[in-house]
Amino acid sequence: MNPTTSPSASPAAAESPTSRPGPPHGAAHAWRVVWRITKLNFKARLEYRGEFLMGIAVGAIWQVSIVVFASVLLTRFPGLGGWSSSDVLLIASMRMLAHGLYVLFLGRVQYMNLLVQEGVVDPCLIRPMPVYRQIQLAFFPVNAIGDLVVAVGLFVAALQRSSHDWTAGRITYVVAGVLGGMLVEAALFTALAAAAFHFPATSYWSQWLEELMGTFGSYPLSILPKAASAAFTFIVPLAFIAYFPAGVLTGHGGAMGVPEALAVASPFIGLMAFVLSRLLWSWSLRRYTGVNG
Amino acid sequence: MTARTTQAPAPAAPTAFATAVSRARRIAWITPRGELLAPPRMTATAVRLLVQVCLVVYLWRGLYANTDSSAGLDETQAVGYAVLAVLANRIRGLDRRAGRDTVIQHLHFGTIVYWYLRPMRPQRYYALRALGDQLYGFGWVLAGYVLSLAVGVVAPPASLSVAGVFTVSMLLGQLVLYYVMMLVDLLCFWTLRNEAALLILVFAQNLLSGVYAPLWYFPDWFITLSMFLPFQATLGVPLSIYVGRIGVDDAFGQMAIQAVWIVLLALLTRRLWDRAGRRVVAQGG
Amino acid sequence: MPLSAVIEARGLSKVFQTTVRRPGLGGALRSLVSPRRVAKVAVQDVEFSVGKGELLALLGPNGAGKSTTIKMLTGILTPTSGEALVAGVVPHRDRERNAHNIGAVFGQRTQLWWDLPARESFAILRDIYGVPEGQYRARIEEFDGLLELSEFWDTRVRHLSLGQRVRCDLAASLLHDPPVVFLDEPTIGMDVVVKEQVRRFLRHQVEERDRTVLLTTHDMTEVERLAERVVLINHGRIVLDGSLHEIRRRFGGTWQVRATLADPADVEEIGRSEGTGGPVALPGFAGIGVLRREGPRVVFGPVGADSPSVHEALKVIIGRFRVADLALEENDLEDVMRAAYLSDVPAQEPAAASTSASASAPAPASQGG
Repeated sequence: MNPTTSPSASPAAAESPTSRPGPPHGAAHAWRVVWRITKLNFKARLEYRGEFLMGIAVGAIWQVSIVVFASVLLTRFPGLGGWSSSDVLLIASMRMLAHGLYVLFLGRVQYMNLLVQEGVVDPCLIRPMPVYRQIQLAFFPVNAIGDLVVAVGLFVAALQRSSHDWTAGRITYVVAGVLGGMLVEAALFTALAAAAFHFPATSYWSQWLEELMGTFGSYPLSILPKAASAAFTFIVPLAFIAYFPAGVLTGHGGAMGVPEALAVASPFIGLMAFVLSRLLWSWSLRRYTGVNG
Repeated sequence: MTARTTQAPAPAAPTAFATAVSRARRIAWITPRGELLAPPRMTATAVRLLVQVCLVVYLWRGLYANTDSSAGLDETQAVGYAVLAVLANRIRGLDRRAGRDTVIQHLHFGTIVYWYLRPMRPQRYYALRALGDQLYGFGWVLAGYVLSLAVGVVAPPASLSVAGVFTVSMLLGQLVLYYVMMLVDLLCFWTLRNEAALLILVFAQNLLSGVYAPLWYFPDWFITLSMFLPFQATLGVPLSIYVGRIGVDDAFGQMAIQAVWIVLLALLTRRLWDRAGRRVVAQGG
Repeated sequence: MPLSAVIEARGLSKVFQTTVRRPGLGGALRSLVSPRRVAKVAVQDVEFSVGKGELLALLGPNGAGKSTTIKMLTGILTPTSGEALVAGVVPHRDRERNAHNIGAVFGQRTQLWWDLPARESFAILRDIYGVPEGQYRARIEEFDGLLELSEFWDTRVRHLSLGQRVRCDLAASLLHDPPVVFLDEPTIGMDVVVKEQVRRFLRHQVEERDRTVLLTTHDMTEVERLAERVVLINHGRIVLDGSLHEIRRRFGGTWQVRATLADPADVEEIGRSEGTGGPVALPGFAGIGVLRREGPRVVFGPVGADSPSVHEALKVIIGRFRVADLALEENDLEDVMRAAYLSDVPAQEPAAASTSASASAPAPASQGG
């Protein structure tokens, strides 16, 4: 993790405590570098102020529109799939929080096809930092700010309206569930990004995926027929983002169409999915042959 | 240049017209041609359309499992509306991005300068391209519609007059949509690198135009809000006419509102094209 | 010279308004609220003209204002002051008429449609420009003959190599037979074979088709092969407008002629003029002097501001002396250009180029930006 030869991190490189002898290793150093580049990226986004403010607004609009949609379903069709409104609200808010965190920490994979086309990936290959991390550090996601503001608001509201008492164990599980949800979303887009190395048209699919998660990720999948909810469990596993963990927390564990243990294991499955997608991504990267021209 | 006028020997009226037509046809054909040359993309379109239609049918049937009627819509109407919305949304859901042919990409790669170097005004070129995209998308919609009718997820229009009014309203709606999309594209001239913004604006616009759910279900404040926005005029109105939620008698008032939006948006986008042009001219693309 | 000017730049200037950041995170946040704007002069008082059938190379270091100048001449940019006239049209005022008069290729930016075969892009452009079918076919055939396009023109543009794509772009920009062509670094990133092909194509367009070409490039071989005239621009101002020879002369285009004289009488004559230590001036040798001598081996070089080119000097030397053996050395154009780019010579003033453009010039400076 020696930043001294990384062109994008030149300001950081200037302050680097070690100039030549032996690249420093260790997680602490790596995180310091990540933090520095992130700070620079944030400043870079501040350069364009209209865009910066719009970015925040855009994140907020996105989340609000999902809230509105979810609330429409809740008020018009009470008892959605046997779930109370406050329970559905928990699904929606957990998903949104997971999504906001995903955008903040891992969302850049969604731009892989653009980064490949623009030749941003090629120089990453020769820098002494994992390519995946460099992709994540490509720019600062301003819209995550808006995303998270709305998500946190809704999440707090959902917790307040919830009739369950929040023991330490439940709180831990909620946190794990949100993180797991973030990882599931990251895993899906990372897998798509793996394809972006070789096919330019993946933006088409990632756009669809984002829409699917917006429309089907925020409420009980039990209202769908078995085949559809199975597809959202095993093919495009968005059930693990919020539906399963929220179901476990609100006592729907046994009635979600899958063994309860599987639902409980959602955070772990998220982690596994992310690891697998990273392996797929690395495998794809090794077969990357560069962009034409 | 004066010496070269020989190459265009006083274009007679019919030839000039024929030239203009072939020019328009050629430009409109660009997107469809690119799609036809990329079979995987066509397959992807078909798959996505099919899956999406199935999903919304499941979703709305699921939602209506315990209810007969909600917000004045019964199950058949709701499902029909949802399917038509998915199809109609497809009309301009083309992926110009893969072809590096969106306005934002032209701005990003600097190729927008060529739009300003040709003997055709950029807005003209833009309009012809959009026309081609619409017509190509319409082919898909028609196929999907016929299939949906055959399977029975969509009911045919209640009467001939409903069909007629719907057709007119749909055309007006597509025009409004064209201008809204153009507005988003024009925004790119001022804010570079807002790919995310585009995606999300598209989503918000879908929500507000009633693609994901008919606006009838939404809270009153939301319906009031969207009355002041052009989005509901794109799909919400024509589809409501189709499923019978807006009667033929009420339809004309709604169509007048559509027309007003078209005029307003046309004026606004025209101004923006001028300003965009000036911006290019001031900064060099 | 048939100098009815086809491209005319009269006192062209362009000033951009840019936002500057304040240092630090706090500064960045403050700039968010109240940005600080600063005017940046990109081009100042650029003045030159190009005649019909002439190829002019616009040279200068990166960021000198070449692209800005080209953009103003194509009508994409409106000059802040001054006037451009291209084929009798003010480009930014009468865009459509101008469009028929000019063709343009901007380096790596393609105007072809990414998803279509190149040939279909040609057909689209034919219709946009309203080129009659017969002329279109003849031109396509001509371009194919020169650039060998048919090997790949049925491939979709996204799959073309850079060289193939730029060749297609060149053809595309000339389909409507424009009398004026602007090329902004057209051969950047191409291999030598393709570069040569493109140069032949450009020569053909200038000599056979009588087109006026304005070209920017960093490739000095290209300049030597193509340009009769160059305009050197630096820091937004014109530094020199003239032939390559003039550039050589002004920016330390030194040369040496090493001759072994066959006639002892000549050696003696030179010997008589020696003594002071500096270059030896000989009667009848305006601008040529003897730099060193070792017996019959004499090294001639340029002396003073008005020295001749190496070829002229050679003629004089051979005409005057009987020579047994001869060798020429000339600074290559890249060295000359480096000296020109680095020198801070005020615009268009004859100044003695003092820097001898030897390898001692700091190399990285010409690569920056």
